[in-house]
Amino acid sequence: MLEVRDLEAWYLQAQALWGVDLSVADGEVVCLVGPNGAGKSTLVKAIAGLHRSTRGTIAVDGVDVARVAAHRVGDHGVALVPEGRRVFARMSVHDNLVLGAYRRGARSGLDAGLARVHELFPRLAERSAQLAGSLSGGEQQMLAIGRALLAQPRLLLMDEPSLGLAPVVVDEVFDAIRTINADGVSVLLVEQDVERALEVSARGYVLAEGRIVASGSAAELTGSALVRRSVLGL
Amino acid sequence: MTTLQAALSGALVGGMFAVMAAGLSLTWGMLRVINLAHFGLILVGAYLTFELATSWGIDPILTIVLTVPLMFLVGAGLQWAFDRLGVEEFASLLVSFGLLIIVMQTVSNVWSADFQRMPGDVNPYATQSVSLGRFVFPAPTLIAFVFAVVIVVTADQVLRRTFAGRALRAFAEDRAVASAFGIDHRRLGMVLAGLSAASAAVAGMLFALGNAVTPSTPFEWIGVVFAVVILGGIGQVGGVLLAGVLVGTLSAVVSATWSPALSPLVLFSAIILALLFRPYGLLTVRGAR
Repeated sequence: MLEVRDLEAWYLQAQALWGVDLSVADGEVVCLVGPNGAGKSTLVKAIAGLHRSTRGTIAVDGVDVARVAAHRVGDHGVALVPEGRRVFARMSVHDNLVLGAYRRGARSGLDAGLARVHELFPRLAERSAQLAGSLSGGEQQMLAIGRALLAQPRLLLMDEPSLGLAPVVVDEVFDAIRTINADGVSVLLVEQDVERALEVSARGYVLAEGRIVASGSAAELTGSALVRRSVLGL
Repeated sequence: MTTLQAALSGALVGGMFAVMAAGLSLTWGMLRVINLAHFGLILVGAYLTFELATSWGIDPILTIVLTVPLMFLVGAGLQWAFDRLGVEEFASLLVSFGLLIIVMQTVSNVWSADFQRMPGDVNPYATQSVSLGRFVFPAPTLIAFVFAVVIVVTADQVLRRTFAGRALRAFAEDRAVASAFGIDHRRLGMVLAGLSAASAAVAGMLFALGNAVTPSTPFEWIGVVFAVVILGGIGQVGGVLLAGVLVGTLSAVVSATWSPALSPLVLFSAIILALLFRPYGLLTVRGAR
């Protein structure tokens, strides 16, 4: 599904990623953990086409999207749930979801997609006409996920979906990740909550100071001293 | 009676301000371009209507069949250049002011600095009026108001209900996330700027229908039209019609009851007051930007 090879990224002169290799197989949930400032968001943005100061390859189903314009990356089956949710606050919940299906390849699936998202998050159906900016943080997160699903992705990039949410809402978000994955969507999950992330993931990568410092199955990483030290600070 | 007549006529005149303001408001709100050259395009639109009607004998209203597509291309091309050169919001104010001056000078060279007005035989609308009960309305202002309603309602519905409209609103809020959902800001920006310029062609025609025009006329529009844009809420096309009607009514009533000289003073005082209570426009209660 996704093969990142030897990826480097810069912000002007400052290098943020160094030789990152990462892959997500079809139908897999893979988590990416690491301390703040490790470059996790930069990596996700690079894959989504929102950070273009990079070197290396980002292959999606064998096609290198590292030089593809941001508005074309979705056509390769990638959708983004951005950090901090970033829903369109002055648009209604319904319009946010419809916008998710903006790219040409996704429009025909609009009605089915809306029905699926309303099934997954019934609260979005109740609040359909409300402005997205008036939703609670948890509801905005559901909307950000729903919007991305309407783009009909095969790979969903989720950047810190549990950040700042109440524990009961975090449960809902992680349940949704399992359901989405069961529908056949691969997920690359960036998370602060390492234990929860490893629970839903098959494999994981640890990113620190712009480099992958550990990777392996969820079980291996759960017991790893390195993960506990570098991410949890224990 | 005369005050009421003045108020109603003023409201209709406000329709023309709304047509002038609609495109300016949308490109400002959605593309973050404060396009003073918009007034230059309105001026050129007015002169093209004058020229096509007097030299070619085309019905003045029908001149928009030619001027609208032409202006669409000009507006789209201008946006392409702004985008390529990376012109930011406030730089666009300066750059487009320069463009406005160039356009006004060019118009002056082509058509002279004198007032130009379509003669009665080519412009039958100028002398007609419509009586509704005890009130009489000149045909040009009535026509301008009809165009204003059609343009504003259409633009509002497109923004609300179409993929392109939603894309524009999303783009105005968060460019990066919008692009992640497939929105090509270059293409969409050119289409919007083109449509805005096309509305300037219509505004120019509407102005020429009832008024004489000189190359310096844009300076008479800028203050009032900016007031309409800001009062209506930047980027909110529905607010533009409401604000246009209010501004037109107020200035006509002040002119009729006190003095035309006091009209701008009262008008802009009222606008400052309105913005103290509704800083993001009449229709926006919470922060719009």
